Order: sequence, then C-alpha cells, then structure tokens
Amino acid sequence: MCFVGPSSSHLRLAVAALCVGVATTLSACKPHADSTAQGASRALPADGSLAALPLGDLAGTAKLLAANDVVNPLAGNAGAIEEGHRLFIAMNCAGCHGYDAKGNMGPDLTDAYWRYGGTPSAIYNSIYEGRPQGMPAWGSALPAHDIWEIVAYLQTLGGAVAANEYHAGMQGDHGITSTADEAPGLLVKATAPSSPPQPP
Amino acid sequence: MRAASRLVDSNWPGLLRVAVMVIGLTTHIEAAENDSSAIANFAPNDPPGEWRSQARDFASTRYSPLNQITVDNVKRLRVAWTFSDGVAYGHEGAPLVVGSMMYVVAPFPDVAYALDLSKPGSPIKWTYAPDPAPLAVGKACCDAVIRGWAYARGKLIYNLLDDHTVAVDVQTGKEVWRTKMGNVENGETMTMSPFVVGDKVFVGNSGGELGKIGWLAALDVETGKELWRAYSTGPDDLVKIGADFKPYYGWMQGKDLGVTSWPADMWKTGGGAVWGWISFDPQLNLLYYGTANPSPRVPVQRPGLNFWTSSVFARNPDTGAAKWAYSFTPHDQWDYDGVNENVLLDLRIGGRQRKVLVQFNRNAYAYTIDRETGEVLVAAPFAYENWSSGFDMKSGRAVVRPDKEPKPNVKLEDVCPPDIGGKDWQPSAFSPKTGLLYAGIFNICMDLTDHRQSYIAGTPYDGMEITRQAGPGDHWGEFIAWDPVTGTKAWAIKEKSMTMSGALATAGDLVFYGTVDGWFRAVNDRTGQILWSQKLGSGINAAPMTYLGPDGRQYVAIYAGVGGAAMVAKAMPGFPPRGSTLYVFSLDGDSVATGLEMPQ
Repeated sequence: MCFVGPSSSHLRLAVAALCVGVATTLSACKPHADSTAQGASRALPADGSLAALPLGDLAGTAKLLAANDVVNPLAGNAGAIEEGHRLFIAMNCAGCHGYDAKGNMGPDLTDAYWRYGGTPSAIYNSIYEGRPQGMPAWGSALPAHDIWEIVAYLQTLGGAVAANEYHAGMQGDHGITSTADEAPGLLVKATAPSSPPQPP
Repeated sequence: MRAASRLVDSNWPGLLRVAVMVIGLTTHIEAAENDSSAIANFAPNDPPGEWRSQARDFASTRYSPLNQITVDNVKRLRVAWTFSDGVAYGHEGAPLVVGSMMYVVAPFPDVAYALDLSKPGSPIKWTYAPDPAPLAVGKACCDAVIRGWAYARGKLIYNLLDDHTVAVDVQTGKEVWRTKMGNVENGETMTMSPFVVGDKVFVGNSGGELGKIGWLAALDVETGKELWRAYSTGPDDLVKIGADFKPYYGWMQGKDLGVTSWPADMWKTGGGAVWGWISFDPQLNLLYYGTANPSPRVPVQRPGLNFWTSSVFARNPDTGAAKWAYSFTPHDQWDYDGVNENVLLDLRIGGRQRKVLVQFNRNAYAYTIDRETGEVLVAAPFAYENWSSGFDMKSGRAVVRPDKEPKPNVKLEDVCPPDIGGKDWQPSAFSPKTGLLYAGIFNICMDLTDHRQSYIAGTPYDGMEITRQAGPGDHWGEFIAWDPVTGTKAWAIKEKSMTMSGALATAGDLVFYGTVDGWFRAVNDRTGQILWSQKLGSGINAAPMTYLGPDGRQYVAIYAGVGGAAMVAKAMPGFPPRGSTLYVFSLDGDSVATGLEMPQ
C-alpha cells in the first residue's frame, strides 16, 4: 500500500533504458560510461576525502579537518543531471523520496530542511554512507561518479545548500546572504579541562 | 454496465430468532426484525463492558452490547479525559480494556502504556519501552504506524516496527518474551495487530512494497515460540497447501500455483504481505485473513496470475494448513491489496442459510463469500470504480477493462479506485440489530505512470508514480451502511475529506466514525442521521471503541493522530497536523473524577 505524493513534474520518457532484475554490480546499470562532456575537466574529489566531514557541528573551537566547501564537479552539467535523474528512479530513490522528490517514506529533498546537511558534500555523504532511519549506504554499490550525478540532479530541485554555505546551512541561514556572527571581541575560547570554572 | 449479482432475499425473522438462540445471543439482540437477516457469533463472548481485542470478537464485528449511550442522549457526549503519547506518526489502533485497566500502544517507537481507569484522570500504571531499531522507520512504506495490539492470558502482545513480536506482563509492565520475526534491513516491517485464539497468537508482516514475501505465523502465547509459518507465494509446502486445500474456482486449482503463476523465481520477491486483520470461526476452526499486493507493483514485469497475492486464505489455526483461498484481484495491476477485514456473518441468501465472510476489498467490490467453500455469493461495487466492466459470477472474477491496464512510462489517467482502494484497512463494524455493515470508504481516482523496477534489497520494489484526485462528486470520503445480502447501500454520508477511521456499532443504535479532517461523529444506525459531532485535534485514522468504566459509566474512546495512507492527502489545503491524543467521551463528560474538587 505504498503511496507517493502529488507529482507536479512529468518524467522524461527518454529515460527508458532501465536495467531490470537483480543487479549484482549496480553500476552495470549505467547505459553509458561517462556523460560528463562539460564537466570532464573538473576532477572528482578524491575517494574518501569527504569522510572527515562531520555530520554535526564542531565541539568547542575545533577546526574542520576536511574541506567544507567542496563543489560538485558535475553541478549544472545537463548530461549529468539527466543521468542523475535516471539513477534517482532506477536505484529506487524515487520509491522512498517520491517521483517528485517531495518525500514519502524518506524525507523531502526539495525543501531547505536537511537533517544531515544540504551542501553537495553533505548530500554526497548521506548517499555514500546511508543514514540511520532507513537510508541505505550506496557507497558500496555505486561508483563516486554516479553519486555525484545524483547530487547534481538534487541540486536542481531548489533545496540544496550552496557549497560555500556550510555553516550558514548548519545555523538555519541557508540562502541568507548576511549572517550576523558574534563580534570578534565576544568570542570565548574553550576552557581547558584542567581548570574548571570557579564559583564567583 | 455492472453485472454484479444482486441476490435479494426477504427478511426471515423466524429463522433469525432460531439462529440467535442456537448461537446463544439472547441478551444482546432485542430486535428480531433486522434489515438484512444477517447475524453474527460474538465468541469469545467477553464481558459486555470490556474490549479485549481490536475488533472485540473473533467475527470482527466491532459491535458492543453497551447501551447507556443511545440515539436519544448521544448529543450529551463530552470529553471525560484525554491521554497524549506524544508520537507524531499515524495512530491506527483501538485501546483495549480488561477489567479496570486500559492498554494502549503508541506508534514507533512502540511504547506501551497501562492506564488505571479506576482512578481520576486514568493515570499511567506502567510504561514499557521496547526500543525498536530506528532503521525501521525508513523501511515502513506507509508511515511508522501500529494498527493494533492484543491481550491474552495476562499479556499484552504486539508487533514492533522492526520485526519483533513482544509480550508484556499486564500486571508489571515487564517483557515476558520477544521473538524476532524478520530482518528489517531487507525492508520487512510489522504493523498489523496480532490476533489471539486460545494459546496461539497470529502475526504477519509488512514490506510488499519492498519486495518482501508475505507470511502469517503462529506463536505460542506463553513462550513466543514460532509454531508454524505460511507464506503467501511459493511452492505448496511453503504456502501450507496440502490435501485439504480446495479452492472453489477451477482457475485457482493446481499444484504449486504460487510458483507457476510467476516468471521464474519472481515469487521470492512477490509480496503478498499480511498486514491487515484476522478473523476466526470457532465452529469451522478456520482463520481468515487477506494478502497484499504483488511485487513489484509494475504488472508488466510479472505476467501471470501471481498467486496468492491480493487474496484471502482460510486456514486451520493449529497447523496452518490452507482450507481454501480466493484471489480477489488476480495479477493485480493497481495495488489492490486483499488485507481488509473479513467480517464473519451468518445470513440467508438465495433461499439458503449461509456462513459467509464479508470483505470491502480495495478494488471497490464488497464480497459476500461462503466461508466454508470460498464461493462468491455477492460481489457489488461499494465505491466508484472503473477498472472493471462488471463481475462474472461464474468464474468469480471481475472483468478487467483493457484501457485501465497500465503500460510502463505511459501516463494512464483516471483509474478508480487508486492504489489505496475504494476502502483501505480501516475496519468496518456490524450491528446485529440492523444486519448492516458500516464502513468509511473513499471516492478517489488516480493518474498512474508505471516505471520498471530493479530489485534492490531494502529499497522500494514499487514503480507506481501516482497523483490522486476526488472521484465523481468532488468529495474524498463517505460513510456507508451496507446490506451484505443484497450488495447495496442502505444509506451514505458524503464527507469532504477522506473517511479513514474504523467504525464502532453499539446496542444504543449508534455507529461512530471519524474523518481525516478531524471530525468524530455518532450516527443513527438505521437512518444515517448524524446525531453528534466533535472536532478533534488531528485527523482520525484509528478505530473507536467503547467500554464500561469501574464507575459503571459507558465511555467511548478514539485516538486522533493522522498518518498512514491518509498522508496521500497531505497537500490538500487545511490538512490537519499530526496528533497523538486519545479522547475519551462520556455523557456530560462525567467520570470517576466527577464531584472531586481536586482529583488526585
């Protein structure tokens, strides 16, 4: 009795070359090896380079160990977006998130609400690693290139956070151009564990 | 043109009286004259003031003999007390009342509460938190719901969303046993209400949308040990089809049809989940339950009749052996699950007294079926449908309209009913005083585009892209009174929003139901006149129930917490927010707290 929500967009009938049956190597479903004519010059981030990007905010004044502004090398690439859309249906993403990606079993991917971050790298990680409430980890089944294609498709749906808005997205300021950070003079350094705060 | 059978038979009060005496219902039925001649066996004849199982009796009538609240005084119903469990998923079950205690179980994470009805405000006596795996939330096709819970021999028994059945001691709230029934990682979940007969509890699975094969299992009430499991597809030994199996129709007869009616090996991911209701006939010693849609939902991928999905089984509860089966929607192309409740009635039809089951199927036909043989006696649409051009009584099959068969990647407009059916799982009620069934139904159609699917374990094996709209008349819901003998509506109330709650019938000549836009109503069971309505805090998907409190007052209880398949309407303007409140009503709102200035 599964259901999908109201759909506003029609699917392109061109995406007809779907693979059927149990796919032992899921990447074998790809109809063509590379659709990145425009984006070919931009290299994919190195395998595993996003692994140090945390899901939550940073404890104390710790510094990020990974780049938090990774750009999707396939963003805006028409061929990659179409292929990402095809994969979104063929890999059964649509079955959970809806054919319009507005959410059903899984969350809405078109709005600005992201449980696990909405930057391209955060979306990539959510697909690669899976998430606790039922999102499978696709990193063992899909090559990095396919995942970046799916991210490229999701980035066209209006909800994704720009690559350089990692902290803004974390603070709920996605799309807001001026963020009011604390004045530099008010920044408090973390207290060392050896000197607990004393009562006045 | 409809070719549906309309076998009309006149009332036969004389025989009715005899039958009533035979079955031993002398106190519950006062009116000898009832509108259809249908009666029911109310075994196991629980105390009149209690509500010990989801449908109250084996026959699944949801009828209570309580009659303090009547057509004359129901307008005085007011809230007596409420209870909120704080969970924002669909609330689909009915509270159980045993003695002076009420038992409820919230949706995921499936926390159970015992409420002491003898004290003002019905305080919590104990809480039991089973901590199911969060993974299950994302594997449940249609919201992290729970459809009900069971009471047996001092234990509260229910299914966790992550495929465990648990039993809890009702005195202490401590877990007695926990049995693992499946692997949630592969997309299997459990949402249905267990059903108890004697020392056995019967449970089934969800997950047909994720390609899981369906099954019904029997567990020992005392230990949780699995006694048998019968699958919905596959070879006869897995389906527990043996020498006793005698389906009525020739096209359902043959060896290993659960294999041969599928492309090679596709029965292994063929669905037929068992997420609905179970009934039991103690005289025939048969269980009745339905199976869900075939997987994938894209029919072109699975040529064949796809046995035994979208079907009903009659099984021996001791061995699991199938006695007969009937396929409502062979090669189901629209997600017309067969899991809706089977109400067991005895009625006179075509000049003969018959033991029947009545099911309002998702495919919009209401079936009156001989429950000894599986013969269809009446099949008539109760909701608007256009997938068939009529019903062939000889073969027992609706005639499929070729222009309503979906083709991959082609948008098919205006198929009625939609995937969620002319009626979904929300259970109907039966009153022996009128002989009528009462059900919340849908008036919805869909535009459908199929997409071929790959099987990837733990993900949807689904493929239906759907938009839905109201059917003729622009209203999404309707509450009906149905004559199971003639296959006709006695009366109907049109509702703007979906009518997706269970129903309750009482000896006060009342039926109760709720709507997805949050109205809880009481209706005259003979006329369909609405006598009382109360707006609740969320949409209503749960089933109402009634009980006699320790103070001797009759109460009516209903959960308001919209969810489940009602979420298909979530984009409609004014769709209610989630909720988690149990509302308990009484005349004038009186309760055990009444008269106490500061109840403790």
